Amino acid sequence: MLPMRSLLPPLLFTLAYAGISLGVTNSYYQLILTLVPVWAVFGLSWNLLSGYTGLISFGHAAFFGIGAYATALGQIYFNISPWLLIPVAAMLGGIAGLLIGFPTFRLQGHYFALAMLAYPLAILYVFEWLGFQEVTLPIKRDAPIAFMQFADPRLYTLLGLAIMLGIIVLTQMIERSRFGMALLAIKQNEAAAEAAGINTLAWKLRAITLSGAIAAAIGGFYAQVLLVVTPASVFGMLVSAQALTVAMFGGVGTVWGPVIGAVILIPLAEILHAEAGARIPGIQGVIFGLAIVCVILLAPEGLFWKLRDLLRKRNGSRPTASETPEATTADITALKPASRQRAATGEVVLEVRNLSRSFGGLKAVQDVSFKLHKNEILGIIGPNGAGKTTLFNLLNGFLKPGQGEVLIDGRNMSGQRPHVICEAGIGRTFQVMRPFLRMSILDNVVVGAYVRARTDAEARKLAVDAVASVGLSSVADRVAGELSTKELRLMELARAIAGQPRILLLDETLAGLGHGEADEVVAVIQQLARDGMTIAIIEHTMQAMVRLVDRFLVLDHGAVITEGLPEVVTRDSRVVEAYLGKKWAAHAAN
Amino acid sequence: MTAKSKTTISRRTLLAGASGTLIASRAWAQQPSEVKVGLLVPISGLYARPGTVMREGAEMAIDHINAQGGIKALGGAKMKLVVLDSGDTTEKAKNAAQRMVAQETDLVAASGAYLSSFTLAVTEVTERASLPVLTLSYSDLITDRGFKYVFQTAATAGSQARQALPQLIKLAETASGKRPKTVAILTDNTGASIASAKAMREGLLAENQLQLIVDETFTPPLADATSLVQRIRSAKPDLLFFLPTVISDAKLLLEKMNEFGLGQGKVPTISFGIAIAEPDMLQTVSPELLQGVLTCVASWGAKGHEALIAELKTRYKEPWMTQNAISTYGDMWVIKDALEKAGKADRVAVGEALRTMDAGPSKYYPLGEIKFDEKGRRVGAGMTIVQWQAGVPVTVFPPELALAKPFWPKS
Repeated sequence: MLPMRSLLPPLLFTLAYAGISLGVTNSYYQLILTLVPVWAVFGLSWNLLSGYTGLISFGHAAFFGIGAYATALGQIYFNISPWLLIPVAAMLGGIAGLLIGFPTFRLQGHYFALAMLAYPLAILYVFEWLGFQEVTLPIKRDAPIAFMQFADPRLYTLLGLAIMLGIIVLTQMIERSRFGMALLAIKQNEAAAEAAGINTLAWKLRAITLSGAIAAAIGGFYAQVLLVVTPASVFGMLVSAQALTVAMFGGVGTVWGPVIGAVILIPLAEILHAEAGARIPGIQGVIFGLAIVCVILLAPEGLFWKLRDLLRKRNGSRPTASETPEATTADITALKPASRQRAATGEVVLEVRNLSRSFGGLKAVQDVSFKLHKNEILGIIGPNGAGKTTLFNLLNGFLKPGQGEVLIDGRNMSGQRPHVICEAGIGRTFQVMRPFLRMSILDNVVVGAYVRARTDAEARKLAVDAVASVGLSSVADRVAGELSTKELRLMELARAIAGQPRILLLDETLAGLGHGEADEVVAVIQQLARDGMTIAIIEHTMQAMVRLVDRFLVLDHGAVITEGLPEVVTRDSRVVEAYLGKKWAAHAAN
Repeated sequence: MTAKSKTTISRRTLLAGASGTLIASRAWAQQPSEVKVGLLVPISGLYARPGTVMREGAEMAIDHINAQGGIKALGGAKMKLVVLDSGDTTEKAKNAAQRMVAQETDLVAASGAYLSSFTLAVTEVTERASLPVLTLSYSDLITDRGFKYVFQTAATAGSQARQALPQLIKLAETASGKRPKTVAILTDNTGASIASAKAMREGLLAENQLQLIVDETFTPPLADATSLVQRIRSAKPDLLFFLPTVISDAKLLLEKMNEFGLGQGKVPTISFGIAIAEPDMLQTVSPELLQGVLTCVASWGAKGHEALIAELKTRYKEPWMTQNAISTYGDMWVIKDALEKAGKADRVAVGEALRTMDAGPSKYYPLGEIKFDEKGRRVGAGMTIVQWQAGVPVTVFPPELALAKPFWPKS
């Protein structure tokens, strides 16, 4: 359940809105008051999919129209009440979401957006072909209430408000749960989300199903308000655009965005239409368009975020923000590097056998075999292009091996999806950092904890522990976008360990760090190893690595050159040659 | 303190004065100096052009009525037009209708709203507000809902095709000496076109012993008409029924027909609806290509309207009088007649007057009478057939309204 604190604003807003609308007797103003929650809910449904996952849908009219037609046709042909038909419409919308989502989620970015655009346009023609160019709802003079045909237009507004309140609360609940976290993680970085143990396809399908259901339900209600359904009025481009407009104007990825957008834009468009349009026909479209362009230019993420950032800036110079970084530094340096019993002979937790992968003619990884022992720190080194990151991508499932096996605890896991491998106990970080910039540090880390946690509370607890173990507790509430590189590296580490993996794959965790900073991170890694973690780390900088690792695996041109203890490997002429060329190899031998 | 009491006093006097004038005007309102009539048509967006023409027709009518002494039953009260923009979507049309009934509370009747889907939505609102609406839209659905305050002045879509077909066959027979046997239908998938095509497919063609040999439905706008025209060329029908809604589609097909050697009457082309006879056609298609093309419309400037056509031409630079202008012109006169009959400026009374009126033969709509049946359809509503002749679409049927004789393209 939601805490009362977050329930209160939507409740107050709804009550205030209801209070105002009860006082409005002019049926025209009342109609506008009814349309605001309709488009707000439609915007919220769009927001649930596109706002949170970042997969822009240009085709939400598909669901809206299905709901509208289901509600209209059900009354005409089967004489069923809309009170029943709107939930049925929601079900149909959900099914449509699933059917549309399954093939379309194979596409990403612009391709997804364009593919979504096609659905309502295609369905529009189907309904025209079926002969439903103009459908009007039959008047029920004998049972108006049973057929949602109110004489008092205020009842439509109240009903619309009730639906809106329900959807706001639902969205808030989702926002705070594993569901919302998964969607936000997908938006900010789908690959990182997969690697953090999130089954991205499953969550996206849930999102589009729910989103489709909400859109269809409100489409059904809209048909009830408009009383006439035509393909263009429910499947048209303008309908899909309306969802985007209210959400993007008000703020994407927040429950308040579509509500703010609808409250401002819907009456504005009507007033312009009634006032300006009466003097110069058509001018309303120009003014409306310009207003939207200006707001998007000034507040690209929408009004809500702009206002929030302004408020933050005003309160931003409080002591908390300026003091915290020092606190962190103090925290980390407290973890003094200490020597650790090298454990190179424990049980084998990860075994790689003859792993190969080529891209066209390039053999990125060829015939690599090695074993990772429990509680060991294995350093994987090699010059640029040696295939180190590709090897990690093969291990955590981003890439499917051409040949060979990856055995985790003796089980062959090669070719599994990343989130499955994450569940099996492998966590990883990335060479190019993949933080969820809009989320706080703690929320970033919570995303990684869900793979182990059964409840939201448990996930939060795991995340708090993980943040503490990398020494970021004091800045846990800050947004990731405000952090330094070092803090981001530590946060990524925390996200990886929040899922309580047994094996950590660290990809150039020290890259981009200054000398002192690198030492701090090294200290954290050493502490993790002391606590029993098994670690494989890729690194360029030999210096830091020599002190950190138990064993080196050296790659060049995708193949293993040698493997062994740090002091042996660093003197190996093949290694020196791989890094510095033949000339230096000769020098080194002397 | 004194200053304050002074202002109160002056305010009170002001108030008294104001209420005095209010009472005076209330007394005056027994015999209103003007009666407001609504016109709810698209004057912005995609359909602004036809909506504007409708406004021109309405303005002309209002001027004529007022010049002839206004509403005599109301002491010569003048009619006043209130124009509302229905925009280009069903939602905007419905919002405008709601605005009309909520804010223009003294309207006695209205006319609108061009597209039948707009009219359907608009009348859902006006019916509940008991505001009578006259409409040119011809979807059968509009008057099939059991509404009491909507009046359809044009023949419905199904009825138009039923009336037109025998006339067209007779025309073909007298002009060319042989009766057409085979037809092709090329229609777009908009509401009005589908309704006409459906009526023909489901019985009308068979009743008239016509065989359908090509039947193609397309979605406007067409990108290329080649494949459609190729089908016509290979099937060689005696008649082509071509039902576009978008002018560019009409242009594309006519040009392609010409290119394939089927144009200028080789295959006589008959359209339904106004698109192919809009003044805008001439901006893109040459008059030679249009020569002889026929179209069946609800209404058109015809015999007896010569002065109106001339006035429309000089006042608004419209080259000819389409159904939108003449029909809306007629609507205002019908509302005037209803006001005379009702004897008071009240929408319910005007509605009752419209339902019961019998004002004799129609002057501005083709054929029939100014009388509505129980559904709200005009009794005996006819239709007109218009033919492009020397760059102008002129009424050629019915004979009593024809401005020119029809000719059958020689093949």
